[in-house]
Amino acid sequence: MPISEQGYSHWQGTFVERRWPWWPITRLGIRLAFKRKFFKFIFSVALGPAMLFSAGVYVSERLEDFQSMLRGPSRFLEVNPAYFKSYFTNEPMLFMMVIVLVLAGAGLICDDLKYNSLQLYFSRPLRKRDYFFGKMFTLFFFLFLMTLIPGLLFVLLKIIFAGSFKFLAEYPWLPLSVIAFSILITLFFAFYTLLISSLSKNRRYVSILLFLVYVFSDMFFGIFYGIFHNPYFSLLSIRGNILQVGAFFFRVKAPFSVPWIYSFLVLAAFCVVSGLVLKKKIRGVEVIK
Amino acid sequence: MKAVIRTKNLSKWYGNVLGLSDVSLEIEAGVTGLLGPNGAGKSTFLKLLTGQLKPSIGQVMIRDQNIWNNFPLFMRIGFCPEQDAFYEEMTGWEFLTRLLSLFAFSAEEVKAKAERALDFVELSKDKDRLIRGYSRGMRQRLKVAQAVAHDPEIIILDEPLNGLDPLGKRKVIQLIKEYKDAGKTVIVSSHVLPEIEALTRSIILLHQGKILAQGDIHYIRDLIDAHPHMISVACSDPRALAAHLVGEPSVLNIQFGPAPNAVVFETRNRDVFFSLLPRLIVEQAIDVEEITSPDDNLQAVFDYLVGK
Amino acid sequence: MTMTRNAVHSIFSFFFSIGRKARKTRVFFLIAGLPVVAALIIRVNQLFSPGTPVEGPEIFSNVIMAFNLQFLILVLALFYGTSVCSEELEGKTLTYLTTRPVAKSAIILGKYAASGVLLVLMVTASVILSFLILNIDRLFDFAAWTAMLKGLSVLALGLLCYMAFFTLIGTFLKKSILFGLFFSFGWENVVQYFPGSTQKFTIMHYLKSLLPAASTGSTGKLSFLLFRLEPSSAGAARATLLLLTAAFLGLACLVFSKKEYIFED
Repeated sequence: MPISEQGYSHWQGTFVERRWPWWPITRLGIRLAFKRKFFKFIFSVALGPAMLFSAGVYVSERLEDFQSMLRGPSRFLEVNPAYFKSYFTNEPMLFMMVIVLVLAGAGLICDDLKYNSLQLYFSRPLRKRDYFFGKMFTLFFFLFLMTLIPGLLFVLLKIIFAGSFKFLAEYPWLPLSVIAFSILITLFFAFYTLLISSLSKNRRYVSILLFLVYVFSDMFFGIFYGIFHNPYFSLLSIRGNILQVGAFFFRVKAPFSVPWIYSFLVLAAFCVVSGLVLKKKIRGVEVIK
Repeated sequence: MKAVIRTKNLSKWYGNVLGLSDVSLEIEAGVTGLLGPNGAGKSTFLKLLTGQLKPSIGQVMIRDQNIWNNFPLFMRIGFCPEQDAFYEEMTGWEFLTRLLSLFAFSAEEVKAKAERALDFVELSKDKDRLIRGYSRGMRQRLKVAQAVAHDPEIIILDEPLNGLDPLGKRKVIQLIKEYKDAGKTVIVSSHVLPEIEALTRSIILLHQGKILAQGDIHYIRDLIDAHPHMISVACSDPRALAAHLVGEPSVLNIQFGPAPNAVVFETRNRDVFFSLLPRLIVEQAIDVEEITSPDDNLQAVFDYLVGK
Repeated sequence: MTMTRNAVHSIFSFFFSIGRKARKTRVFFLIAGLPVVAALIIRVNQLFSPGTPVEGPEIFSNVIMAFNLQFLILVLALFYGTSVCSEELEGKTLTYLTTRPVAKSAIILGKYAASGVLLVLMVTASVILSFLILNIDRLFDFAAWTAMLKGLSVLALGLLCYMAFFTLIGTFLKKSILFGLFFSFGWENVVQYFPGSTQKFTIMHYLKSLLPAASTGSTGKLSFLLFRLEPSSAGAARATLLLLTAAFLGLACLVFSKKEYIFED
């Protein structure tokens, strides 16, 4: 084999088909995230809304035991699709998701660019997509723990505490909605995080940008909506789009009179554009192939 | 000669990990090699010398002044750090001139010193390129340039030959020797022992945060009585030579090889052995090709002291 | 003292020249330009739909300035303030500065000044452009200019105060960005609405006390930002902000001088 250059060379051998070639990268990403100081604390705080809503599911079945709760409208603790939508799209939850992404996801690609690790990765029998999926699924792990798992847990808890399948009979599509919506927002936030992480070698800069883009998108929507009262400005806001799509998935009234499909397309377009940018960014740089 | 650098009971802990333990020494003008394997405490020691770290115990005195938070001392000190870190968005020229401007030199002086330093490390042609585009060797040379550009009296170089090609290494070694001849104080750290041997005979050996030995390489070697000296003789008739020397009390052991015409003698008394050998060679008319001391070098000294 | 002043100036020049050309500066310039883009959109929309309920000057003072005050300067100050120390640590370039004959406090002050000047320029450009776009039909209104310049000075003061705070945070906290985010969008955004003296424990309280809208008692449509504000007097607010800036910077210099910094391998 000719010596191409000093240092790492792109893998020239054959790719043996293996199950889950992305798994070592995902496992490492998760382990590194938990090693960071304060991450465990922040992540447990991020699971706070899930615990709160789980308690709410319990309380809703024991309303007569909580006399003081009955003072308000009985709909306060009614576990229905709107309850699920509230959980998935409430502002503190989304804020904590962004914080978790800053801690666990900011350095995923950024650190690899900084330390020139891409050459290390691609000198192994690893395809670009394996690397991409490995990073992606690291974020999926944390985001599913905040979305899909609690969502399905609420359904399960409701059935257990109610002692019957009445809830499921009433809303048979709900588990599918939980799964679909969880996958959607997880996918979006994963692309969002990886895109921004790939834009710089400076982790602090990426952390700020992750937060900034999310907050500013919402603020600019607030400014334009406050002035023009045009609901289509909600398409500018990440949170606004999530609210719209969430309303469709959980069959509740949308907050803005904008077809939900527009919001879905905005989120999908963002994912596609991110994918294209990531494809360009993730390459074995300075490697003669 | 008065000591330029003095340390007294210098120790440094990183939490529960001991970086350096009770180092008391004096360093005079000239070149001093700081040796040790990775993790021996060389970088810790140099960072303490340059005021990057605060001693847990003890003190570092440079020209009888405590270095910690004593920034005026840095007019006289140049430091080449080990880490490969730069302001990547700057050109080599900008990097050097901006750092020189921190010495309160005039604009003309800054320009002259920068040009001289870049010229010496052969980076003049690439001075207007961004550091981001420099090769490993160029970056290392730039690091050396920033350490010497202001013509300091004390130069501390942490692994300065890392990443340099043989020509680059020779250039830096030459510079260090020039500084030595000019009466400056140079401390060079390395874990590559032959590089240090090319530079100086005065060494400090560190291992696991402690000083193993300090002084002249050969003097240290002689002090190691536990290990006999080895002398290898390549000649036309090694067995005849061995036969004549086997009865000498100063000869402890004889081994043939590794080359077919070589014989290795072990002796505790080099002087006696070397007084015998020439006479024997002449009397027996043995053709000698080479006489060497395989263990009279830094690696052997180090291995003996570390107990390998 | 002269030596320190010269050292601060040298460090300032060093980092101003780096900061000027840095890619992140261009990105943050663009981010600071977002209010200008918003102003343009609003103005263009007004041209084509004259029935827009809110006037340009009101939008400028209640929306653009509020956005700058409550978000933009916080984000800019957070990133650049924490960068004063953290950037050198993460990039491992701190050695080059601390092995020069400059006081450690001069390093902090010089870098702070360089970043401060850059940020003030960014915000000034953004505010002036937004003002011009939204007040294009009353450019000779001296009162409007005065109000804009007053607002700009409040933003600059806020920027410098926040930067000083984040510079201090950056000198001793590793996770300075995270702390900064919680401080800026947690503490500052929430506690300023607490009644009584509690709100005086935020920097934002003093900045809002200096807002022209607060002192004239006007209640525009978007004055919800001033809800529950019990403002301090303008003089007291200014003095407190200046004092806080000096105190934070002084502490930052002290911490930086005393602390030893170990690079992560």
